[in-house]
Amino acid sequence: MIASSVTTPRTRSGLNRSARIIGFAVGAIVVYVVLLWLALQVVDGFAPERALPVAIQQTINALSIGAIYALIALGYTMVYGIIELINFAHGDVFMIGAFLAVVLTGGIFGQTGGVKDVPFLALLLLVALLFVMPLTGGLNVFIERVFYRPFRHASRLAPLITAVGVSFILQNLALLVAGSGDRAAPQIFPLDWQIPFGGAEISVLSIFIFALALVLMLLLQTFVNRTRLGRAMRATAQDQQAASLMGVDLNQTIALTFLLGGALAGAAGVVWGLRFGFVRQDLGFNAGLKAFTSAVLGGIGNISGAVLGGFIIGFIENFASSLGFSRWSEFLVFMVLTLVLIFRPTGILGQQLGDRA
Amino acid sequence: MSATNGASGEAMLVIDGVHTYYGQIHALRGISLTVAQGEIVTLIGANGAGKTTTLKTVSGMLHPRAGRVRFEGDDISKLPAHKLVERGIGHAPEGRRIFPRLTVLENLQMGAFSRRDVKDLGPDLDRVFTLFPRLLERTAQLGGTLSGGEQQMLAIGRALMSQPRVLLLDEPSLGLSPILVQQVFETIKDINRQGTTVLLVEQNALQALSIAHRGYVLQTGEVVLTGSAESLRQNETVRKAYLGED
Repeated sequence: MIASSVTTPRTRSGLNRSARIIGFAVGAIVVYVVLLWLALQVVDGFAPERALPVAIQQTINALSIGAIYALIALGYTMVYGIIELINFAHGDVFMIGAFLAVVLTGGIFGQTGGVKDVPFLALLLLVALLFVMPLTGGLNVFIERVFYRPFRHASRLAPLITAVGVSFILQNLALLVAGSGDRAAPQIFPLDWQIPFGGAEISVLSIFIFALALVLMLLLQTFVNRTRLGRAMRATAQDQQAASLMGVDLNQTIALTFLLGGALAGAAGVVWGLRFGFVRQDLGFNAGLKAFTSAVLGGIGNISGAVLGGFIIGFIENFASSLGFSRWSEFLVFMVLTLVLIFRPTGILGQQLGDRA
Repeated sequence: MSATNGASGEAMLVIDGVHTYYGQIHALRGISLTVAQGEIVTLIGANGAGKTTTLKTVSGMLHPRAGRVRFEGDDISKLPAHKLVERGIGHAPEGRRIFPRLTVLENLQMGAFSRRDVKDLGPDLDRVFTLFPRLLERTAQLGGTLSGGEQQMLAIGRALMSQPRVLLLDEPSLGLSPILVQQVFETIKDINRQGTTVLLVEQNALQALSIAHRGYVLQTGEVVLTGSAESLRQNETVRKAYLGED
């Protein structure tokens, strides 16, 4: 049969591509460790033998923060890729996710601190993700259905302004229910689980967050690249009319995109509480802005770009705070964004959702 | 009905007094035509006569404001495009509209999107690759990197992947070299012989009439002339206006 020979070349090039990406990632991490190591010696005047362990510890923290931004950024970028809308309410969907996780672990399960019983902890985390992700995904689908779809054929400004409005609605709902100010989030993942490492301590939570994000991203990538519906999503992002001529239901595909983006934001919300120990109604504005910046930096509409951008922002922030300049981290983040956009207006990878992730 | 499928009832595709608008523009002004099972029917006419609009109205990309489109007896005038593919209407649209950043294979797989129950696309892919061997050499290449001729083959092949009972082809020869044009028309004849009904829109009226069974001449959104392909080729007006003869 002719067609049976068809899949072979694609698989091979796919393997090459994964190898290149892993190579790039490992290389970038090593470069960051070295940079930080050198900078720490200059700035902090650390004992030279302590600088490297601290640099490694901080790099792992950077990866966990970057992973959170990347998870949120994916929702911005996928929605933009498919309907060219900046979903300003997306950060607030993340915020709702963080609150829901608190409601579940604190309210329903009555946890207040670290859970040392590993199987129980694993179960709690799993339940939290399985509880929050469908809810934030569903919320995002609801937002699209009620607030954005009626403006599908209106000027682009109309849904954009609506998105800002939805953002306010969600923030004020949170304010109404939870009140203003910080609410404690139960840090069920024990913070004192640290791996001692040459005078530094590596946070197991950071490793967990990074690993979880990686798994979710790989699942997303597999879905987008390898499944019938993922292919339909990419086709829709490239040419909506042609996709509908193939039998793709645009409403369904757009809803699916919001579902996935919302679910990933929910996962980010769950781990946010674990890491920072508080939630607040304006969380979505701050983290959302960083995640949005990540998406733009990597190339809005581009899935790989959102992940890349998220980690870059995580590294920049971490670099500043590791050297004691955390107040400058936002300045640095937006300076890098500005510079990238001056020289590469479409962002670093700058293509569209239609591409393989 | 003038052309029927021979047995009882009406033709496979019936367009009945259709008025279609592009915003304010009244593009189709009461068009009626039929396509019977197994036929190749061609629409000829100048730019802006309404040929493409007619195809779009059939495939659900546009909806008629008045009149009806019936396919295999059902009124499909109000159905969205994605539902019509499932019913057996395949449309290779104007400008090819292949997915530029999907591979050739993925483009073909998208063509079969509506057939969700089919696990193995092998036989369908084989059929397309037999018609267009060039595509087999290019399966892993992105659609946007193909030459114009290859893109046209891909657009037709992709439409075939839905196993349409009627295939709507919009200017399949546009921008192709004379040899390729010949090839594409041969392929359309093959596809038709294999049992697919074809509604063909062409600028190249002479070629179209040489493979079609019947034709309709459109002018500013109306049918001005119809008949067998042979009779249209002999027709004085057609020869002057569309076949480039004096």
